[in-house]
Amino acid sequence: MSADVQLDNVWVKFGDFVAVRDANLTIQGGEFFSFLGPSGCGKTTLLRAISGFQNPSTGRILIGGKDMSGIGPNRRPTALIFQNLALFPLMTVWENISFALEVKGMGKRARRKKADELLELVALPAQGDKMVSELSGGQKQRVAVARALCAEPEVLLLDEPLSALDLKLRQHMRTELRAIQQRAGITFIYITHDQGEALTMSDRVAVMRQGVVDQIGDGTTVYDHPETAFVASFVGENNSFTGTVTEMKDGLAYVQTECGPIRSRTSLAAPLKKGDNAVVFVRPESIHFCKDETRTDENGLVATLAHQEFEGHFWHLALKTESGHDIRMSVMNDGRSEVYEIGASVSVGFSTQGAIALAPGELAVD
Amino acid sequence: MTSGGVMRIAVGFYILLFFSYLFGPLLVMSFTAFNSSEFPSISPWNCFTDEWFEVLIKDNQLMGGLKSSLVVGFGVVLLAVPIGLAASLLITQLRSRARSVVYTIAISPILVPGVVLGISTLVFWERVDRVVLGAQDGFFYDGYFMTIIGQSTFIAAYSMLVFLARLQRFDPGLEEAALDLGATQTQVFRKILLPFLKPAIGSAAVLAFLASFENYNTTVFTIVSESTLTTVLASKVRYGINPSISSLAVIIIALTLIAAVAHEFLKRKEERQAIAEKLIANPVAIKAGRSKRPLGLPIGALTAVLFVGVLGSLWMGQNYDVDQCKVRVAEENRVKFEALKQQRLAEAKAKQTTSSQDQDSAVDAKQSSGQYQNIFAPSNLGQQIESDSGAEPQSETETKDAKQYQNIFAPTNLGQQVESSSDSD
Amino acid sequence: MRNWLRTFLARNGVGLSVYMLGAVALWVIVMIVLPQLFMLDFSFRNNWQQIDPSRMGGPDDVYTMVNYHFLAFGSPNNPDPFNVVDVTVFFRTIIAAICVTLFDLALCYPIAYYLAQVARGGKARLLVLSLIIPFWVNELLRAFAFRILFGEEGTINAILMGIGILSDPIDFVREDVALYAGLGYAYILLMIFPIYNVIESLDKNQIEAARDLGSSWWRIHRRVVIPFAKPGITSGCTMVFMLSAGALAAPQILGGPSSLWFTQIIYQWFNTGSNWPRGSAYAIVLMLTCVLLVLILMKLFKVKIGEIGR
Repeated sequence: MSADVQLDNVWVKFGDFVAVRDANLTIQGGEFFSFLGPSGCGKTTLLRAISGFQNPSTGRILIGGKDMSGIGPNRRPTALIFQNLALFPLMTVWENISFALEVKGMGKRARRKKADELLELVALPAQGDKMVSELSGGQKQRVAVARALCAEPEVLLLDEPLSALDLKLRQHMRTELRAIQQRAGITFIYITHDQGEALTMSDRVAVMRQGVVDQIGDGTTVYDHPETAFVASFVGENNSFTGTVTEMKDGLAYVQTECGPIRSRTSLAAPLKKGDNAVVFVRPESIHFCKDETRTDENGLVATLAHQEFEGHFWHLALKTESGHDIRMSVMNDGRSEVYEIGASVSVGFSTQGAIALAPGELAVD
Repeated sequence: MTSGGVMRIAVGFYILLFFSYLFGPLLVMSFTAFNSSEFPSISPWNCFTDEWFEVLIKDNQLMGGLKSSLVVGFGVVLLAVPIGLAASLLITQLRSRARSVVYTIAISPILVPGVVLGISTLVFWERVDRVVLGAQDGFFYDGYFMTIIGQSTFIAAYSMLVFLARLQRFDPGLEEAALDLGATQTQVFRKILLPFLKPAIGSAAVLAFLASFENYNTTVFTIVSESTLTTVLASKVRYGINPSISSLAVIIIALTLIAAVAHEFLKRKEERQAIAEKLIANPVAIKAGRSKRPLGLPIGALTAVLFVGVLGSLWMGQNYDVDQCKVRVAEENRVKFEALKQQRLAEAKAKQTTSSQDQDSAVDAKQSSGQYQNIFAPSNLGQQIESDSGAEPQSETETKDAKQYQNIFAPTNLGQQVESSSDSD
Repeated sequence: MRNWLRTFLARNGVGLSVYMLGAVALWVIVMIVLPQLFMLDFSFRNNWQQIDPSRMGGPDDVYTMVNYHFLAFGSPNNPDPFNVVDVTVFFRTIIAAICVTLFDLALCYPIAYYLAQVARGGKARLLVLSLIIPFWVNELLRAFAFRILFGEEGTINAILMGIGILSDPIDFVREDVALYAGLGYAYILLMIFPIYNVIESLDKNQIEAARDLGSSWWRIHRRVVIPFAKPGITSGCTMVFMLSAGALAAPQILGGPSSLWFTQIIYQWFNTGSNWPRGSAYAIVLMLTCVLLVLILMKLFKVKIGEIGR
């Protein structure tokens, strides 16, 4: 069973502080949906509102079409996986997993059976009698998932559950979680500040900033077609050039920046007009070395190489333009990489489709 | 380096002094429990005896007091621990301002003198009894009832502090997790919070019981016509004392020692377990775990000492006849008394004949003290032969005794000493 | 408030909410506040219950200052300008309690520091454990032990005379030495532990750093350790002062025949004197004085009440 989750004009305020500002969105049943944003953006508050630990100041939350106001967390069809997992330290693994059944008054034998099934599901067979403290980080993770699934929720909420794991394990658990979601066939709502997690696992991602949902879309949309400067700067790496729109022609913006004129595409959701201030975003991997400076759809720049890092499949280069602007660029290592000297003058370019002009706004801080 | 050495010696000496202040009184008191002297003292040492324990057990007043102390203690545990628990839970849920107000009120009973708590409890419930029941000496004006209430007033604050300390380490996320999994609030309390607080409940209960058991200041007002162990003790100690009270102290000290050793033992076991668990989770920690092995506390040695002590006293008991010793001491006392009498006579004579000649009387006194020694010596010898087997330490104290007497009977303070010692007899 | 109550109910459920609020209300209202108020009320009344119960609740049963007046000035036909006995006892009790507190502080601070910063591992643990043991022994028994030690026939006299230092036994009880030694002894633990707890949390590096900079040891204590240990010191002093000013057992057992402790006077009003209102008035005066002194102490050392008892 999976249910859709609908947020209707949801506001959450703590005194004067607005944690969530007018959230309006619908999460489809069976969807893997992520809220992505920096810490303090209100995503955890939103999650707590959905699970019932936090009452919205105004607005409604509907799960499976049913209004949840006045319904406590223990009577909602949701289960939450906490950031620190919150496994019960005084219980064994199987008691932890079957806790949801215990509170319903189910007999011990039936509970044990169900717990063993779930241990199987999360690939932890025959670990039921251990104490939680005897498990490794990744195993605890799986137990937390199993415990939440045991409650047979229609919506599973995950609050940055992977943040405590090391990189390898985290990447492994991403695929694992995605697989579990597909097997269980229920709605997952996932909270993270890690765009990699959000992009790899989710059907759709909502990018949040200071209590506001900036953009909702699948991974490629959010990455390739950002609608706000914040989304562009937060999701993935981006170079930014600020300037003024001098002309709009053929759906392209002509922006005069401190590094010269740039032609770029724009976002349909946030159209620009002549005379507007704009920020042009260019991904490091969209920039390439130029041999031929005459192509009409190309933007060209001349800069000096300040720094370079070799990362195997990519070279990461740091350039400085004449006007002092820093540019990052990534070059695929095709095996015949040209090595430049630090301080060498290089000419680089990017296509008009590789750049996007957006209205200026708050940028993410790295 | 030398100044460091001096410093170290000074520190060592200070610690030695401190701990002898701490333990000296208790040790002396414990020894008096085994001295047959009617008055609790270690000098003069008369006979090793365990009769005071018998006197203690046969003391109906004390035993009755003990019984009511137990009743009151259990009552206090049942009342104060739940109250302390409720208060600690409430306080952790309050926001800063309300929290500090409630906290201040809640710990105020600790800061109010015990007598004031006793008085206010007495005055209040006497009034309630009069107004509500309209009766004199009704249900509320009852020694047990008022004592339990009065003691719980501040003991609840103790247990609250115990719970608060434990709750500080509680992750509220666990409660939320349980709620989220469908538990009701009561289930969360029963299945998550209570198991977590179980050790704290245990220690709060023990603490509450002990605090109740040894309370005097509050109890003495609220107990009215009943009496607890402490009130009986107080009246006993105030109006004439005997070593059976020392023997009670010995029992309490022994119980405390056993409890302390047991506590230490359990704690070690727990720590060893924790280390073992760490090893399973992370084998790299083996080395760290070993090198960090806590406590070089010589538990084994302590138990051994206790064991040997008990065995030794058993063995002593078998080879030792108290009555014989008592007869001997009585005889010694009689001899001493004779000596004193003679001395007095001599003194009186000296006064009569040459009251102006100080020198003479001094010589006289010296003579008499010598005489005393002479009289004493043979019996001392005889005793050594008599009980050569068991009472070696006794004979040693006897000789010390003799020396002491020598000094006491120094000419200057003769008269006074005679008076006071005859008083104590 | 209503809002708070609603969230409280939602968070804890009805049963638990009722238990928590009920138990705390019972404690705070019925056991703490009301008895104190009744005692206060009582202290302003005449002792009709003993003198003439029929006049209770009648027109004569009015509020009066007579009990407080008695504490200050004695009975109407008292020739002295004030109640010499009671007032003297009162001030002597307070001053003696302060002395006992200072004595304990001086005695315990080095030990607390030693246990917290110098002693290590098993040794420290053994010392701490052995500190606790004497305090499981009943307060009365501890006082009794001091009576054995300090009595005229007591161990100390016997030893001193045995060595030859003394020729006459000293009456330690009459001189109040026994009382002060016993009171100081009784509350050692309550002084050591708060200080110990605070000093233990002091980073050893701070002391090392100060030593590195060439500070003498007393400067280290004056500038680093003592300022840090202030909450613990205040807490310990508060407890020791309160308990010794309010002590009853030790003065009863160890006090000399001519020297009374203020609590003993209160006890007499309740016991042999059968004048509860007067006893209540005396108790109120004792309590207010103690609380006032402690508040001054906390103000001086800038310590909040919430830090006491930790």
